[in-house]
Amino acid sequence: MRQPDPRQLFIRWQRGGDPVAREALVQRYMPLARSLTRRYGRSSEPFEDLLQVASLGLLKAIDRYDLERGHPFQSFAVPTILGEMRRYFRDSGWAIHVPRGAQERALRVRDARERLANEHGHAPTVNQLAEYLEIDCEDVLDALQAIQAYETVSLDAPRPGSDEGAAAYGDSIGTDDERYELVELDATLSAVLGHIPARERLILRMRYVEDLTQSEIADRVGISQMQVSRLLRRSLDQLRSLTHAPAAAD
Amino acid sequence: MAGLPNVRLNLPSRPENVLLVRQALRGLADTVALDAIELNDISTALSEACNNVVVHAYPGGQGPMVVEMQGSADGLEMLVRDRGHGLKPHASEPSEIGGIGIPVMLALADSVEFSAVNGEGTDVRMRFATPKGAVLAGQDGGEETSDEAVGELLVEADGGLEGVNGELESVHLAVGPPRLARAVLARVLAAVAARARFSTERIATTGPLAEQLVDHLAEPLQDRRLTLTATVAPRRLDLLVGPIPAESSLEGLTPALERLTDGHGVSRSGSTDLLALRLSDAGPEQASRKKNNGMPGDHGEPRRHTA
Repeated sequence: MRQPDPRQLFIRWQRGGDPVAREALVQRYMPLARSLTRRYGRSSEPFEDLLQVASLGLLKAIDRYDLERGHPFQSFAVPTILGEMRRYFRDSGWAIHVPRGAQERALRVRDARERLANEHGHAPTVNQLAEYLEIDCEDVLDALQAIQAYETVSLDAPRPGSDEGAAAYGDSIGTDDERYELVELDATLSAVLGHIPARERLILRMRYVEDLTQSEIADRVGISQMQVSRLLRRSLDQLRSLTHAPAAAD
Repeated sequence: MAGLPNVRLNLPSRPENVLLVRQALRGLADTVALDAIELNDISTALSEACNNVVVHAYPGGQGPMVVEMQGSADGLEMLVRDRGHGLKPHASEPSEIGGIGIPVMLALADSVEFSAVNGEGTDVRMRFATPKGAVLAGQDGGEETSDEAVGELLVEADGGLEGVNGELESVHLAVGPPRLARAVLARVLAAVAARARFSTERIATTGPLAEQLVDHLAEPLQDRRLTLTATVAPRRLDLLVGPIPAESSLEGLTPALERLTDGHGVSRSGSTDLLALRLSDAGPEQASRKKNNGMPGDHGEPRRHTA
């Protein structure tokens, strides 16, 4: 089947508001989001989480791309999607919990190394460990460095000062981080947005598409920051129930 | 860059060598305390530049891929150079997904410059603004004169790359100052040991070896760069490390070399003395014999040996 011209799709969506055209654009460019997620998130946590963030960036790029400027869509979409992933890393405390994830992986590598050594009578190679644990050779190498660095300290004990970071990470998956919740929802939630009252839709848009802070939104809409917070909360709950997304609290 | 950069890698343009570049960068990141996001940005952009060299620079073959890393008060600069045609910055990319490497570099680096070297080869120079680069500022390899020996060695090593093929392959590293060398050398040695299919047990000994080499060779070198040439073969690594600052520096090092290597000597390259090291890992057969000697056997009674 012949694919429709993306230019036509952009015109149909951006000028005519045709959601079918938008969906077709999402389908068409999803491999780009996927590819960027693989490249940028190689040492990241679950691929699917980050892909959701990338998808949100893709939606943003599709909405904002200016056909008239004549640049290829990718040259606009790549920075938009990467920007979204960077922001997500920053907002979710990724920089803090990544070292912890690496430490956990180091423990798994150390255990696997001992198990394989006992089974086979000799220490495994990096490739064997990578295959056994289904991770990259590079991750095994990083883990070996970490093991070496921590060997004098106890690996099983939490690193000094990391308790707080760990707790903060756990909390950040909880109820407070709206952005995280939004990306958990299906990226193609545009269809259900129609069920949200206009003002709340506007606030959602300001928060997640225009990246305004709650205070900035409060100023623009003329309500308090607390009210913005409550409205965002309610909209997200509503979106969640509309899309039947699983609860975030696990 | 007046003198040699903080890190200079000269590698055959093979996919697996991009891992080596990333490992060296991790050593640098540890030294200047980059956070995970900064490291991820630089690592992704640098990988894209290297992948371009691997995929596009030498159609149907391979050639040198040079990567330089330099810190300054303004940030970190990464240079990726090939001698073929690494990329065509102005070529429009009609394909849907192909060609996102350049947009990725542009999006992640604070500035990117592409330039052709004498009509042959491409330089990609990326700058990342971070105050942490200052840790390495003013340590750009020192005066040119003090680098002559190292420079010669590198030229020689560059020439040697032409002959790389098949199973053997050489990688070259120049790194300094010493505290950076400590982190980068450990990473690079472990990575080449993994490439040589060493066991993780043997790989674990490359960390202490790197420590010893930096203590005895790099520390007395001050601003000059420590260089490493590693030739990788199945279960064997041949290393040339240097320059040796003084005959006396080997005295303290010898006991460690006895313990951590399978052979060591001095090799003269031009006017420079280099330490020649052989590391090997016998593989499963011998390893399992060793195990039966020292540990309870798989079948029944633990064996006891009296030496």
